[in-house]
Amino acid sequence: MSSLTAPGQFFTPSLRPRRKSTAAASAASPNPSPSTSAFRLDLRTTPSQTPRQKCIKSRILLTTASAATGLLLQFGSGSGSGSGSGFGGGGGGGGGGGSWWRWVLGSIAYADDQGEEGRDWDPHGLPADIVWQLGKLSAFKKYKISEISFFDRIRTTTVGTEDSFFEMVSLRPGGVYTKAQLQKELETLATCGMFEKVDMEGKTNPDGTISLTISFLESTWQAADKFRCINVGLMQQSKAVDIDNAMTEKEKMEAFKSQEKDYKRRIERSRPCLLPAPVYREVMQMLKAEGNVSARTLQKIRDRVQKWYHDEGYACAQVVNFGNLNTKEVVCEVVEGDITQLVIQFQDKLGNVVEGNTNLAVVRRELPKQLRQGHVFNIEAGKQALRNINWLGLFSNIEVNPKPDDKNEGGIIVEIKLKELEQKTAEVSTEWSIVPGRGGRPTLASFQPGGTVSFEHRNLGGLNRSILGSVTTSNFINPQDDLAFKLEYVHPYLDGVYNPRNRTLKASCFNSRKMSPVFTGGPGVDEVPPIWVDRSGCKANITENFNRQNKFTYGIVMEEITTRDEGNHVSANGQRVLPNGGISADGPPTTLSGTGVDRMVFGQANITRDNTRFVNGAIVGERNVFQVDQGLGIGSKFPLFNRHQLTLTKFIQLKDVEEGAGKPPPPVLVLHGHYGGCVGDLPSYDAFTLGGPYSVRGYNMGELGAARNILELAAEIRIPVKNTHVYAFAEHGNDLGSSKDVKGNPTEVYRRMGKGSSYGVGVKLNLVRAEYAVDHNSGTGAVFFRFGERF
Amino acid sequence: MASQPREWTGIQQFPAATQTKLLELLGKLKQEDVSSLTVLVMGKGGVGKSSTVNSLIGERIVTTSAFQSENLRPVMVSRTRAGFTLNVIDTPGLIEGGYVNDQALEVIKRFLLNKTIDVLLYVDRLDAYRVDTLDKQVVKAITNSFGQKIWNRSIVVLTHAQLSPPDGLSYEEFCSKRSEALLKVIQSVLNSGFGSRMKKQEAATPVVLVENSGRCNKNDNDEKILPNGIVWIPELVKKITDVVSNGGETILVDKKLIEGPNPNERGKIWIPVILAIQYFFVVKRIQGAIKADIARENKPLWELRDMGLAKGKF
Repeated sequence: MSSLTAPGQFFTPSLRPRRKSTAAASAASPNPSPSTSAFRLDLRTTPSQTPRQKCIKSRILLTTASAATGLLLQFGSGSGSGSGSGFGGGGGGGGGGGSWWRWVLGSIAYADDQGEEGRDWDPHGLPADIVWQLGKLSAFKKYKISEISFFDRIRTTTVGTEDSFFEMVSLRPGGVYTKAQLQKELETLATCGMFEKVDMEGKTNPDGTISLTISFLESTWQAADKFRCINVGLMQQSKAVDIDNAMTEKEKMEAFKSQEKDYKRRIERSRPCLLPAPVYREVMQMLKAEGNVSARTLQKIRDRVQKWYHDEGYACAQVVNFGNLNTKEVVCEVVEGDITQLVIQFQDKLGNVVEGNTNLAVVRRELPKQLRQGHVFNIEAGKQALRNINWLGLFSNIEVNPKPDDKNEGGIIVEIKLKELEQKTAEVSTEWSIVPGRGGRPTLASFQPGGTVSFEHRNLGGLNRSILGSVTTSNFINPQDDLAFKLEYVHPYLDGVYNPRNRTLKASCFNSRKMSPVFTGGPGVDEVPPIWVDRSGCKANITENFNRQNKFTYGIVMEEITTRDEGNHVSANGQRVLPNGGISADGPPTTLSGTGVDRMVFGQANITRDNTRFVNGAIVGERNVFQVDQGLGIGSKFPLFNRHQLTLTKFIQLKDVEEGAGKPPPPVLVLHGHYGGCVGDLPSYDAFTLGGPYSVRGYNMGELGAARNILELAAEIRIPVKNTHVYAFAEHGNDLGSSKDVKGNPTEVYRRMGKGSSYGVGVKLNLVRAEYAVDHNSGTGAVFFRFGERF
Repeated sequence: MASQPREWTGIQQFPAATQTKLLELLGKLKQEDVSSLTVLVMGKGGVGKSSTVNSLIGERIVTTSAFQSENLRPVMVSRTRAGFTLNVIDTPGLIEGGYVNDQALEVIKRFLLNKTIDVLLYVDRLDAYRVDTLDKQVVKAITNSFGQKIWNRSIVVLTHAQLSPPDGLSYEEFCSKRSEALLKVIQSVLNSGFGSRMKKQEAATPVVLVENSGRCNKNDNDEKILPNGIVWIPELVKKITDVVSNGGETILVDKKLIEGPNPNERGKIWIPVILAIQYFFVVKRIQGAIKADIARENKPLWELRDMGLAKGKF
């Protein structure tokens, strides 16, 4: 009972309420996990869908990619299985990142489950109000305990349930226990080192239940004024020297001495721990305030230290022992959760471990190095691994799971379980669009079957290479009308999967069709017949990702540009409406060649610097983009040009705010400048246009002009209001007098100003911006609804 | 110029005094080795361009109408007299429906291709009291088409000169006010031109008043005179000859002038330099900024601790 009351220098706090079976053979018990996933991160992502035309449509998915990606960062029952009884079970449960109390409740549930036929209990069969000792109980009866109280013999007070000692007892009021169970509980309490003496006393109640009083004498040690925390992860457990009463005094002294020496060596061998100075100071103060070191003090210290670790994300860290008691210095032994192994395994749909298709290096390069062997496990590193792996888009389910290492005491094996997505997917989606027929009424022929056929073969060769193709048309019967296609090959890790340099090669064939904003009328011009610019071609580029936001792309584009009028005829010149209402086709030339069809090859480079981040939901930082299209003199009329644009956007935080969930975002001032210019051959479809939601708000696309050089300036101030923000802005766009340097001067032909300003106010409603913008050229305002962000 | 220009017979219809003066002036030009003269007449619609041409030639060659524009394309009238050729090009009005008629301008330009313009007659009415943006647009359109130099060889012709000015203004005052206003417009267009501010009008554009009406007052010699007593036909021709002899270069209308300098060719030679500057001064700088960003990035505490940078501070 009081074997540890001798000048024991070890104190092994029983960190958690123990289960009855813990001490004995935890290896035998399967260690039921109290809460399988204390932490679950669920990012459900649907595979991006190609935007389709707005039509009335019904989608029929024949085959679909597995739609959701489940992510799981799991903390299983890290129960210190078999860490030896002296080790005090290391607090089974590994203190999952979840709350502590939940764990306790979980264990009750467990106790109840186990609670042998919990439905029934035997009345004590004794007169009421009789105080009895534990030994007097019948071994064959199951007693129901209606009440448990603690009696502190030092303070001679009854301790409430909020006391830290209460956690140590696994008995709960209302539970049914046999005499053997109660005895074991008593034994456990007595050996845990917190008490010098523990007694159990029962009192019979009239209703057949019993009230239990546990009276204890708390262990105390000599006052200490120093505190030390050591990392004993991966070290052998120190074993207490048996001090036999049969030993002579001398022998005892020697035993102590050797023990002391051993311990000193242990301290020397231990590694420094992560605990920072402020926490040290806090603990020292705690020690000073307490005087004698009592079990409660140690418990408090343990709680404080563990709390720090857990708050900082070291979810596997535990205080396992206090040593050097009865000296001036209290030594707190911590197992921080050193990673001894990193295991990546693939699972099939049923959860069986399989050999995956993905090259392990692909996964490994996404892992932060803090998850590798020799580092301390931190939940944030786990989360980052989770995010990074999810970013690959190769897995439907990702679990990052730290698990105690059976072979290395205090070690953690990080297990990453991945479920691979189907490699090949194909999708057909159909839609019916109703086209107004003759007379505006839909006829049978005006129902057009349209849709998209797409396929994807991802993770080729296990190296995350992929081929993706899609064909979209709004009319399958007459697909030549508008057929959009895309074929793309992505080849990541161009420099090898082991090379930290992250360059991706992308090659694609594409086509696109857009209405040219160059051929747009200015204010007061009724309607300019539109010009459609069809581009089709191939491009290949290499993207170097410096990190997720910053990248440098360079490549080559080979394309054919065809300009068409409304009737789908190739047109070499823009049309214009004559004052007499007629239409003449001698407007500005649409192409460089003058035929309506241009072919050219040019180089393209784009560098993006983006250090924006979110402060409570408001974007703050800076974004710079520079893009160059360099004509190489290959193509119709040997186009040689240098078309460049620089965009600078700055989001300035106007007030310091405390960061955290639910905190209000700061007001932000956005300054934006965009310069575009071109030297050399400039076909009209490559001219810079002014006006539009991403240029100068309050005007239509291209309403201000199309020029060779442009400058756009904008300022916006965003004031947070409730969950969203309101904003006011002023913008200006100017052609710098370069409209006339575009062949045919489309700005003047379509009677545009060439410059303009606007100002307005708006409010952000989720994804939609509702804004009132005043067009400064005409002085009239209008309300606009826009999707997405301007900057 | 395919057909041989006809003999200038119209000159004989002028009163004798006018004839003498004209021949005298033409003779003067011949002395200066000028044997042919091309006069371009431009202006808004309905100001009397065609009538002026008719008056000048002395024939009714160009049909005129008081109420609508008759001629949709330019007409060149060539007459010779004593080895001297006078070409007068009448053009359609430049204003249609409140806007500069780009198409008309285009037609005029194409008509003038490979011709040399000696004198531009910019025609407007004297009895219009105000100048507005329309005038400015016309002047601008002419300038953009033929370059600023054309104003060195131009004469402002104000038609309908036989009028009684508004109360309180003398005829002279009114005329000078009106011409001043028009000249101001021309000057402002010239000044607003990009990068050409240095080229001030060397000499003020001369102004000639004209009355084409048959009811025009005549003097004793049966010459048409204006209320201020000036015989205007010889005056006009005199001003033309003045401009020819004083003025700078004639304007040769070639493809380059019509289409303007090809902006696509400008600066092409500098593209390699531009590209190099872009690479070294823009791309490299942004790359540097990115590197600085990455270095400056706030690492979470756990990462710092892992790297052993915490030193027990946090």
